[in-house]
Formats: sequence, C-alpha cells, structure tokens
Amino acid sequence: MSFKNDLRIVWAEFKKSVKIWISYPIMLVFWAIAPFMWVLPFIFQGKALVGGLSSAAFKELTGSPHYLPFVLIGAMVSTYIFSGLWGVGNSLREETYWGTLEYIIVSPTNPIVVLLGKTLAEFVYATVNVTMQALVATFFLGLDLTLAKIFPVFVIVLLLLIGFYGFAIAFAGFTLLIKEAHGWVHTLEWVFYLFSPIRYPVEVSTITKTLSAVIPLTYALVAIRGIILLNKNILHLGKTILILIIMDIILLITGYLTFRYLERKTKEAGTLAQY
Amino acid sequence: MFWHSFITKTKHYGRAIWYENMKEWRIELTYKPDFIRGMIDPLVYAMPYLLYGIALVGGRTSETLKGLVGTDDLITFVTLGYIFVGFINMALWAMGWSLRKEQFWGTLESVFVAPVPRWVFALGMALHSTLHQGLMIFLQIIVINLIFKLTIAPSGILPSLLVVGLMLIALYGFGMMVASLTLIFKQGWLVSEALSGIMMIITPIAYPLAVLPLFMQKAAMFLPTTYGVMTVRHFLIGEQMGFTVWTAFSRLVVLGVVWVAVGIMIFEIIDRRTRRTGTISHY
Repeated sequence: MSFKNDLRIVWAEFKKSVKIWISYPIMLVFWAIAPFMWVLPFIFQGKALVGGLSSAAFKELTGSPHYLPFVLIGAMVSTYIFSGLWGVGNSLREETYWGTLEYIIVSPTNPIVVLLGKTLAEFVYATVNVTMQALVATFFLGLDLTLAKIFPVFVIVLLLLIGFYGFAIAFAGFTLLIKEAHGWVHTLEWVFYLFSPIRYPVEVSTITKTLSAVIPLTYALVAIRGIILLNKNILHLGKTILILIIMDIILLITGYLTFRYLERKTKEAGTLAQY
Repeated sequence: MFWHSFITKTKHYGRAIWYENMKEWRIELTYKPDFIRGMIDPLVYAMPYLLYGIALVGGRTSETLKGLVGTDDLITFVTLGYIFVGFINMALWAMGWSLRKEQFWGTLESVFVAPVPRWVFALGMALHSTLHQGLMIFLQIIVINLIFKLTIAPSGILPSLLVVGLMLIALYGFGMMVASLTLIFKQGWLVSEALSGIMMIITPIAYPLAVLPLFMQKAAMFLPTTYGVMTVRHFLIGEQMGFTVWTAFSRLVVLGVVWVAVGIMIFEIIDRRTRRTGTISHY
C-alpha cells in the first residue's frame, strides 16, 4: 500500500477515535480533573507531615523545597504516559471487546498503521487534557508556567513520547498474545509511579534511584521540573536530550520488531479471536 | 410456614451467592499471571506514599504528625491507612464494575434472567472480592513489615477485625449502588474512578482528618471508611480520633444499615427502570 493510503488509514482511525470520545463527552471533563484528584492526597499528606507547603528535606533531594508544583508537574506529564498506555497499549484489547479486532487484522492494512492512527488520536486527546490541567494549575494553584517555558517543555515531552509510543505499540502486541492485559496496564502504571519521579523524588532510595535510570520518563521529568521550577535553560539540558533521543531510537525499533513478532506468534498459535 | 419459606429462600440465595463467588475465582485463576500480578499490586500502590513521606521529612518520623494524632511513625500510619484503599477498591471496582464486566462477556442478560434477585448476584461478587482483598492485604502487610518493621499493638488486632467487619457491611451497600449506576451510565469505570478518587481524598488514609478542609471533614463523616481507618489505627498505634470508640462503632452500625438500604433500593429502582426502558443490553 502507498504512503498516501497509509495516511488515509491513520486519518480514518483518528476520526473513529474522536467519534468514540464524542459519544462519551463526560470523559473529557473527567480526565481534565482526575489528575488533580490524584494529587490532592499528596498535598494533604505533605501538610500532615511538614505542616506547610515547603520542606528542607525535600529541597535537599530536588533542589526546590516546594512539593506542590513538584506533584502537579508529575500529574500533568503522567497524563500523556497513561493515555498512551491505555489508548495505544490497550487499544487492540478494546477492539476485542468491541468485536472488531479480527476485521482490523484481516484487512489489507498494516496493523502498525492502524496503531499510528490511534497514537495520533491519543496524543491530541492527552494534549487537550494537559492544556486544561496546565490552565487550572497556573491560574488556581500558582504553578509558574510562563510562555517562555512552554516551548522547551513541549520539546522534552515530544522526545519522551516518541520512545514511549514505541513501547506502547510493543505492548499492544503483548495484549494480542496474553489477552487479559487490563491488570498489566495497571501494574505498568504503578511501576512508573514507583520507579520514576512522578509522585516523589526517586533519589530518596538507592534502589528507586538506580531503577529509575532505565525509564525515559525519569529524565523527562527531571528536565521539565528543571525548566519550570529551577529556571534552567534547555541548552543546559543537552545530556538529558541526548539520552532521550537514544532511548527513542531504541524503543521505536524494538517496539516495532516486538509488535511484528508477537502479532505473527499470535496468528501462528491461532489464538487471535480467543478471548 | 413463614420460617420454612424463609429458610428455603436463604439456602437458595446462599447457594447462588456461593456459585457467583466460585465463578469469579475460576475466571480469575484462568489468567494466572494476571492473578499473581494482582497479589503484588497493593504493595506497589502503597510504596510511593511511603517514599514520598520519607522524602518530605527526611526519615520515618514526623513531629507535625505527632502533634496531630499522637504518633510520629509515618510508615506505620500510612501503611495501616493504605490497607483501606483495598476495601475502597473492593466496593467501587470489584462490585461496582461487576455488571459492566458481565456486559463485556456477553452474559449480563443470562445472569439477569436467573430466578434470584439481582442483589444476590451483587452479594456473590462482594463475597469473592472480600476474600480476594483479604488475601492481598495479608500479603501487603507481611512484605511492608519485612521492609520497614511496623510497630503495632497486638491487643488491637481483634477489635480492629470487628471494626473492619462492620465497615464492610456498609461498603457492600455502597458497592451495590455503584454496580447499578453502571447500568445507566454504561461507561461505568468512570463512575468507579470518580467515586474512588473522591473517597481516596476524603478518607484519612495517608493523613489525619484534621488537615482536610472543613467541608471535606464533614463529608468524611458519612463514609464508613473514615471510621474504619481511624478506629483501626486507634487500636493498633493509638491514633487520637476526636471521637470515642463507642461513637465509632455506633456510627458504623448506622452507616451499615443506611448504606445497605440505600444500595438495595437504588439497585432495585435502576434495575426496574433499565428493563422498562429496554436499555439493559445497550452498550
């Protein structure tokens, strides 16, 4: 199939996803608010443990004593990650629920192209949600997010997502093979919560610090917090950007190869239509 | 005559509850890796709260916490609190999500035409999720204890179990209400996610009730989990609650009666409504 046809499929898949979202408009409102609901317990816990909104021990670990912006940034960036994990990684399992997986697989289309359509749709959806969250965080919670900081932050987010979507595509292949992946997605969510600095500084323990080094999200979050909280210039984050680019290349290639392998394996085993 | 009919019905419903419970276990054990993963989950869930606490105070003790509740050990305080997240998940996800799951599997209509009331089906789900959560919580406590060495008063274990038992009754009612809501909203995970988000905030899991804004403190008084978590921590680590043990027990009994009545009532109303409007099989 030609490149033009592939683009048409990506567009059709994008439109399909948008139609599904529009069928459940309350979901958009929910995802704009939900990350703040997850953040609130951490704010109250902070108040209970240190009595205010800053902590000297926290500053030693992160460079900033303010834990509120720390968890807010973690919540916003993780919106992209979890939307990718569910919307791309778990997307083929959803097609099974809808009874449409077989149609996709037997159509004369490369499933990777279909997944690219889903990825594009998820990216747009997550960006809309994060924009709403950023507005709330800036105007109501005092997050210092100026226009000058948005461009470098967006560059880091893009570098993070290119590799992450590669991983999500591999995970989509995994769901073809193991079927009931819902719980595994949850576990991955919590692996990210535990071994990357979404909710707490991983430097607090040697184990979490070491393990977090293999997760691209760690580098992205440290860089984004550096830009927003410590006013660092993106030019001073060259090492982080290089690491993210290398991880992107590795994850994209391995993601593609893993998906093709798992798709073939599932077809050979004849378990594609199994539930 | 009345007693004979009552005993026959109870046996009949009891068997249906048991088979529903067994059905859930069979489905779960069909996906073994997923089952094992589910056992580890609660441990992974709790750790960010513990490590975040350590990052904030630079150790495991907090003088501010001691001033608020009378104990400075944040690890034991948060771990005991976090156990109750499992119970919230039980009501909102395992029970609340149960009817939507049957819809996905294409078996909701078959289950609903069985000759037992629909709340019996929900109680079967409740039995299964109570056993499942119990197992997960047991493992969670053992592992966290091995890592952090929790300090609790052994004499508080029995009364704590009694408190948890009372709290579960109220949560069953709550779970039944949520389960029925998914028949109307279809995308029921949204209901579960929103309610669990709210309950996780206003139940004093990783912090004392006193740090919440006043309106949240008042709302927390209608949740059985608030009394559950505070009373258990009172028995095990001496948390100062701001109300007596007797008050906690009596309020849990009242909440149990109210939530079960409300749960069954809403379940029945929605069940009747969805069948009248013919939307039960809508997706």
